[in-house]
Amino acid sequence: MNKLKLNWEVALLLILVAEILLFGAINPRMLDVNMLLFSTSDFICIGIVALPLTLVIISGGIDISLGSTIGLCAIALGVMLQAGMPISLAVILTLAVGLLCGLFNAALIHYTGISPLVITLGTLYLFGGAALLLSGMAGATGYEGIGSFPDTFTNFANLTLFGLPIPLVMFAVITLLFWLLTHRARFGRHIFLIGQNPRAARYAALPVNGSLYGVYGMVGLASAIAAIVLVSYFGSARSDLGRDLLMPALTAAVLGGANIYGGSGSILGTALAALLVGYLQQGLQMAGVPNQVSSALSGALLIVVVIGRSVSLHRDYLQTTWRRLRGHKKLTGV
Amino acid sequence: MKKLLRNRELSALLAIVALFAVLVALNHSYFSLQTLSMIFTSAQILILLAVGATMVMLTRNIDVSVGSTVGLCAIAVGVALNSGYGLPAAMLFALLIGAIAGFFNGVLVVWLRIPAIVATLGTLGLYRGGMLLWTGGKWIEGLPASLKALSEPVAIGVSPLGFLVLIVVAIAAWMLARTAFGRDFYAVGDNLAAARQLGVAVNRTRLLAFTFNGMLAAIAGIIFASQIGFVPNQTGSGLEMKAIAACVLGGISLLGGTGTVIGAFLGAFFLTQIDTVLVLFKLPAWWNDFIAGLVLLGVLVLDGRLRQALARHQRAQKYSRFVPPLPGAKNVRQFPRKKKDVA
Repeated sequence: MNKLKLNWEVALLLILVAEILLFGAINPRMLDVNMLLFSTSDFICIGIVALPLTLVIISGGIDISLGSTIGLCAIALGVMLQAGMPISLAVILTLAVGLLCGLFNAALIHYTGISPLVITLGTLYLFGGAALLLSGMAGATGYEGIGSFPDTFTNFANLTLFGLPIPLVMFAVITLLFWLLTHRARFGRHIFLIGQNPRAARYAALPVNGSLYGVYGMVGLASAIAAIVLVSYFGSARSDLGRDLLMPALTAAVLGGANIYGGSGSILGTALAALLVGYLQQGLQMAGVPNQVSSALSGALLIVVVIGRSVSLHRDYLQTTWRRLRGHKKLTGV
Repeated sequence: MKKLLRNRELSALLAIVALFAVLVALNHSYFSLQTLSMIFTSAQILILLAVGATMVMLTRNIDVSVGSTVGLCAIAVGVALNSGYGLPAAMLFALLIGAIAGFFNGVLVVWLRIPAIVATLGTLGLYRGGMLLWTGGKWIEGLPASLKALSEPVAIGVSPLGFLVLIVVAIAAWMLARTAFGRDFYAVGDNLAAARQLGVAVNRTRLLAFTFNGMLAAIAGIIFASQIGFVPNQTGSGLEMKAIAACVLGGISLLGGTGTVIGAFLGAFFLTQIDTVLVLFKLPAWWNDFIAGLVLLGVLVLDGRLRQALARHQRAQKYSRFVPPLPGAKNVRQFPRKKKDVA
């Protein structure tokens, strides 16, 4: 199993390199190292939220409310900055809002015992609605949002560290932390067992509910971080900032090898897949493909890759089905 | 109270009536059939999607791509009409596109064994992109009046398409509740292996569930084009979550095998009613999602707690005979032995 997963990560890396080379062949500007590094700021938030999402998926859950959480955090941050709060305090409070959103999800799942998909569907509306409410009350107009922040804040996302953009550095640090947490710490092993078999985990006296709060809280926290980066990068806080992040983040987690039914997944795979998805969007844009078509292509990429994995997983089943279909042509008329 | 909460259709109906009562209490002029038919008009799209989602969810799958399917089919009917085809041909074309889109989802899930949420997540992007590719990102405008006429009221404030929706709901409700074919959906969702052992064509049933869902989304797309009169780029985006939310409100379980079409209908109606009531109260639009979320979560928490209590009760009953009797109790019955159990 370990070997297979390693192979998958290597395969992802190869696909990533091939993708960059392919786009480089179309538009040589893509191969510029600076270009490669600094274009990550456009999409790195996908990766920041995809990492904890992977943990949630490994634990057998899912969180579809994270887009709304990002929106809510962004608006909260905007309102606080507009009210003249010091930046450090506003950032800390934003992180607290995100954490609370995540813990609220976990509490509801714990309290009701309903599937996380349904609960987070409810909070998707609740948090999204709260974000709209907040921005409406703050008098922000729909698409412009809250703007005109202090320069020290808006410059933050454009700073560099050792010649690398700050968001990318943050992503690398977060990836490392999550890799340690998931693959090298006891907490991660617990999450894997909980995803494989919650009942067995309970009998083994693992803190099942505590881990639940842990993973959803981390998603909330990461959403808040993503919100801060996005607001700083775009220079304005809107309630719909995170709406387009959920699907790519899920795509990255699934492409990275997470089993949507729980029990397996890889942080490194998710990180690579996030870059893959991001560079796909970026590269298509640079190749002159309209923005909308790239959504089709990322959807197609997801399907193709997942088909490939599914075929390799269910090889026997597909072979017998194929033989049966060829044997009895009538059966095809479903 | 318990019975009320267990019967989700009834509680959804009561919620609708209560909300209507609140509306009427605050402004008597809204007490009319017209208000109801107005809500129904704006609920039609969601109702169709909820019925489609019901079929898919009954088989223990989920389809998050319907929003894009709606958009794709709205484009299909618009393009066909604008290039000179007749109304029936255009609608059939849209239906066909919807059926293909749904069938493709089904193929991914059933034949290629991809988890439904992953597969439909992929097709969500794929269909949306396909739609934008088809139109080149432009809106479809200038739809003929014959299409728009279909959504003008003919009797009791309901349009021809509205009647079509009612008929579709009735047929779906009848099929799922009364026919052996419809019961297969429940069997497949409740226990796939057992359904197969009983001779249910599990693959065909699941494929058909997705295909029907696509066709219902196509009708929803046609209604959208007819009601709005043009087809913007973002047609249908976000509807997939709303349809699932409506189903959950109406008592359809994501774990498959439970729920009725009537429940989905009422759930969709209730969700739309919230929006409409807020508009009638002249509350700013930004309250909509917040209140919808609150209601949804409220229902879920109640429902979840009730279900947990019920499960505990059943468990207690099941194991009560193993609990050692109180010391000194008289007339202690022996643990009943059933020889049949061995077989």
